Amino acid sequence: MNARNTRSRNARNTRSRSARNTRNTTVRLSVSSLRAHKRRFAGTFLAVFLGVAFLAGTLVMGDTLRASFDTMFGNATSGTDAVVRSADAITTPGESEGVREPVDTDLVSTIERVPGVAAAAPDIQGAGQLVGKDGDPIGGQGPPTLAGNWITDPDLNPYRLAEGRAPERSGEVVVNRGTAERGALKIGDTTTLRTPDPLKVTIVGLATFGGEDGMAQVTFTGMTRADAEKYLTAEPGEAAGIQVRAGPGVSQQELVDRLTPVLPEGVEAITGQESARENTEMISSQFLTLFTTFLLVFSGVALLVATFSIHNTFAIVVAQRTRENALLRALGASRRQVTAATLAEATAVAVTASAAGLAGGTGIAAGLQALFPAIGFPFPEGDLVISALSMTLPLAVGILVCLGSALLPAVRVGRTAPLAALRETAVDTSGASRARAVTGLGLGALAIGVTLTGVLVSPSVWLAGFGAVLALASFVVLGPVASTTAVRILGGPLDRLRGVTGALARRNALRSPKRTAATASALMIGVAVVSLFTVFGASLKATMDQTVSRSFAGDVAVSTPSFGAGGSGLSPRLADAVQRLPEVDTAVGLGRGVAEVDGRGRALTVTDPVALERTFDLGEIKGSLRGLGTDGIALTRKEADRQNLATGDQARLTFTDGEQQTFTVRAVYGRSELAGDYIITREAWAPHRTQDADTLLAVSFKDGVGTDEGKAAVEKTAARYGNPDVQTRDEYAQSSAGGIDMMLTLVYALLALAVLIALLGIANTLTLAVHERTRELGLLRAVGQTRAQLRAMVRWESVLVAAFGTAGGLALGAFLGWVLVKASDSTSDSAFAFALPPLQLALVALVGLTAGALAGLRPASRAARLDVLRAIATE
Amino acid sequence: MTTTTAARVVDAVKVYGTGDTGVRALDGVSVDFPVGRFTAIMGPSGSGKSTLMHCAAGLDTLTSGAAHVGDTDLSTLDDRRLTLLRRDRVGFVFQAFNLVPTLTVAENIRLPLDLAGAEGDPEWIAALIDVVGLRDRLHHRPSELSGGQQQRVAVARAFAGQPDVVFADEPTGNLDSRSGEEVLGLLGRAVRQTSRTVVMVTHDPMAAAHADEVVFLADGRLVDRMTAPTADKVLDRMKAFEVPS
Repeated sequence: MNARNTRSRNARNTRSRSARNTRNTTVRLSVSSLRAHKRRFAGTFLAVFLGVAFLAGTLVMGDTLRASFDTMFGNATSGTDAVVRSADAITTPGESEGVREPVDTDLVSTIERVPGVAAAAPDIQGAGQLVGKDGDPIGGQGPPTLAGNWITDPDLNPYRLAEGRAPERSGEVVVNRGTAERGALKIGDTTTLRTPDPLKVTIVGLATFGGEDGMAQVTFTGMTRADAEKYLTAEPGEAAGIQVRAGPGVSQQELVDRLTPVLPEGVEAITGQESARENTEMISSQFLTLFTTFLLVFSGVALLVATFSIHNTFAIVVAQRTRENALLRALGASRRQVTAATLAEATAVAVTASAAGLAGGTGIAAGLQALFPAIGFPFPEGDLVISALSMTLPLAVGILVCLGSALLPAVRVGRTAPLAALRETAVDTSGASRARAVTGLGLGALAIGVTLTGVLVSPSVWLAGFGAVLALASFVVLGPVASTTAVRILGGPLDRLRGVTGALARRNALRSPKRTAATASALMIGVAVVSLFTVFGASLKATMDQTVSRSFAGDVAVSTPSFGAGGSGLSPRLADAVQRLPEVDTAVGLGRGVAEVDGRGRALTVTDPVALERTFDLGEIKGSLRGLGTDGIALTRKEADRQNLATGDQARLTFTDGEQQTFTVRAVYGRSELAGDYIITREAWAPHRTQDADTLLAVSFKDGVGTDEGKAAVEKTAARYGNPDVQTRDEYAQSSAGGIDMMLTLVYALLALAVLIALLGIANTLTLAVHERTRELGLLRAVGQTRAQLRAMVRWESVLVAAFGTAGGLALGAFLGWVLVKASDSTSDSAFAFALPPLQLALVALVGLTAGALAGLRPASRAARLDVLRAIATE
Repeated sequence: MTTTTAARVVDAVKVYGTGDTGVRALDGVSVDFPVGRFTAIMGPSGSGKSTLMHCAAGLDTLTSGAAHVGDTDLSTLDDRRLTLLRRDRVGFVFQAFNLVPTLTVAENIRLPLDLAGAEGDPEWIAALIDVVGLRDRLHHRPSELSGGQQQRVAVARAFAGQPDVVFADEPTGNLDSRSGEEVLGLLGRAVRQTSRTVVMVTHDPMAAAHADEVVFLADGRLVDRMTAPTADKVLDRMKAFEVPS
């Protein structure tokens, strides 16, 4: 009994010892091979590092910003226990924040009588843009430019007076400190506030918001309550909301409960906390979410590119080690052991690179936190918020990407036949197999089919997107098939230009189609995304151009920035003033209103329809724009079809002041574009108006008046109304597209990362290839190839691989750009134009080729340094 | 000035490593390789015969002493000039891995000429191709040829640029005896019919027997020379090395 136990324990011990030994051997093997091939994994390490760092940096920065905004709003509104406001908001498509009906300021006295209320103050808000010392308006390029009444109860005012005093007389204002600094304004300065009517104001105080110089980039101007009512609201007695402070011992919820019974129908009370949360949410959804999503997409692209580079490195390293692994197998290593050794190697690289990436990402976030204030963006102070998610997610993604990329090569290692140890070389030259060609072509056909269906037959962004993914997949599968032909064609001129050096470079690139394709794929994806954005940007510009040239029949336009909520619009009196000029035939101002049309929130164009018809091409018009009057409405054919309305039908509009009115459809027009989907007259809008502002003023001159002459006259008049820009038709079209260039620049900067990773991949593959061809390079040197020729040969190979990737990327990018444009066209109301910008795309191609030449530099110089004799003697 | 030696080394010393661990691979060797002669360098392994060839051909540099190809003192040349000298005035046949796998037979033969951007002598090359008997294989890749055929291509490449001297390092080391005979015959014919100069390193008495003269190396020194060698005579001489002295 005892003996048996001992025996079995011994056996168990032996077994576990041997298992441990096996594991140790595996680990030892991979560690030693890692150490021996440090250089080979430098590229892999960098690729994972960059991707993870970018991802982690984005997450940490997002969390930190969100937390900072939370704190800021919390601080700013800590004294407000409840907010009273209209219960319903009208939200138009494409807007995150709805428009609320104003509340009556008379309600303040009612509220003050409620037991438990310590104080209440109306919050009157509107748009107001300050003009800086240099005469240029401050802000207006995105974040809102707000003006409001300076609430005298310091606890209810989210802004705190930091310097100076509160406004007491008409024309005195308090400005948040960030805005004052941006406009180089100080206490005592007199400047203009566009509300949008220009208003002379004197700065008497500077304010902070929640301890910061401002609420991010939002500008705020606080005026006396009388001024605010006069300039920011349609009529006195209206406020956006009422801030309420509770007396001692009354909780926020108790306050709300007590307020609710005294409020009229359609007006609600919410707690201060709820209001702060809504504000944070709003800024998060408008700015942060967009910002972080944008960055996350780009780290995704970078990591996708990295996948190809990493896979390639492992595939090559494994191929080169075939003999070594075969020897191990011959000596008795199991399939599992050699596979595990390779995977262990990948894990080691993945974990170190990802961990380094986390550190790098935190560094990036810290750097940005320091950098942002320097470029005028008040990144709130506070510690970096490093959540578990923002650490574990990038780590997991990094390890997954690395291991996933190494998986196939590792499995291939396991299949190494022991006999392979006896074979000479083991470079994988396969690639252009029939099955691959068939699969790739099938995928391609499917991709085109799905995409075309999603774009043309039954418009669906999802279907089009799925088609785009399929297209990418088919490009990757077809890569090795195409690489042979493509390199042959692309490298054709090389033979003639560079003689035998060129021919050698070309044939080296042709050697292993799979490898060439995988290397090029990384660059292809980078270039494809760059071209996609280039094509989409150019198409957007072309669309703007087309829109303006097709529907704008005027000579000059006066407009406010075309994107974001910033700016204060144009003075509605500007149109009348311009109309009185002797040079002007028609001047029509377009204002913007909001209403619910048969229950759906819609943007209205408020204008003089008769003048509008003269300066805009509205397409085919059914009915007449002449007699809209105070109860008529005109709408586009598209909206008419969607709402099932025709001329003569009735539509019920609900305005932000809560009033409902029935309008008769008097005209249906063909082209919306600049004019908007619904048109009503100024007279019809007047009873429901909020702060008056026009967004666009279109001017056409009398016959015989030159554009320059007319423009000068309009400019002179405009100067008296806050000096907005006066633009010719071309300038107007260009400025409408101005934001696109800014977006593209940002996109290019971010994509540089992906291209950099692709470049590392090319360099890495080449370095490995050079290592693999040591003997051949030695032979070439022995029979008379100079170092310069050798370097040129490696560099040209690199350029060829890059050229293949770039060509594929351009084709794929142009196709995806077309898909995106067509999908946007068929799912949105406005017509999209498709444009292929030849100059920009040529530039993209040039960048791709340059990247190739750069990537070849280091491998080339390493190859040239080879000692001839050692190269010949290499086993 | 004309000379009767295609290549020569004078007091050639090559030391690998330094100090106590230094190995004297060549220890004061002086030898001429006359124009129009087929010289074989023989010796047991470690005797320095490959080092001698590498130094004489400009693939390696001497620690002291001089190496000349024609009238050119190799020690005065930098890496670039050495490369150009190898390209224009020296031909090589190595034991294995002689051909660039991505180039065809014809391109491999023309490789040194193409690297120089030179036209070469088309008649000479055409004749060479016929001599090595590969006219029907010109557009094949090296991987499609047998070992013997590959070495014959290498021989054609070595002579394509009409070099001053062709160095062959164990050219038959990887071949069966019949293919080996063919390659050696080619080298011999090239020397005798076209007055070319060949220096061949070998350890095979049968191969050495194709040469006009054999020089024997042992421990980095020149120990003997033999004209009109036969396989038996060479074998006998080689056996003498193996007797411990």
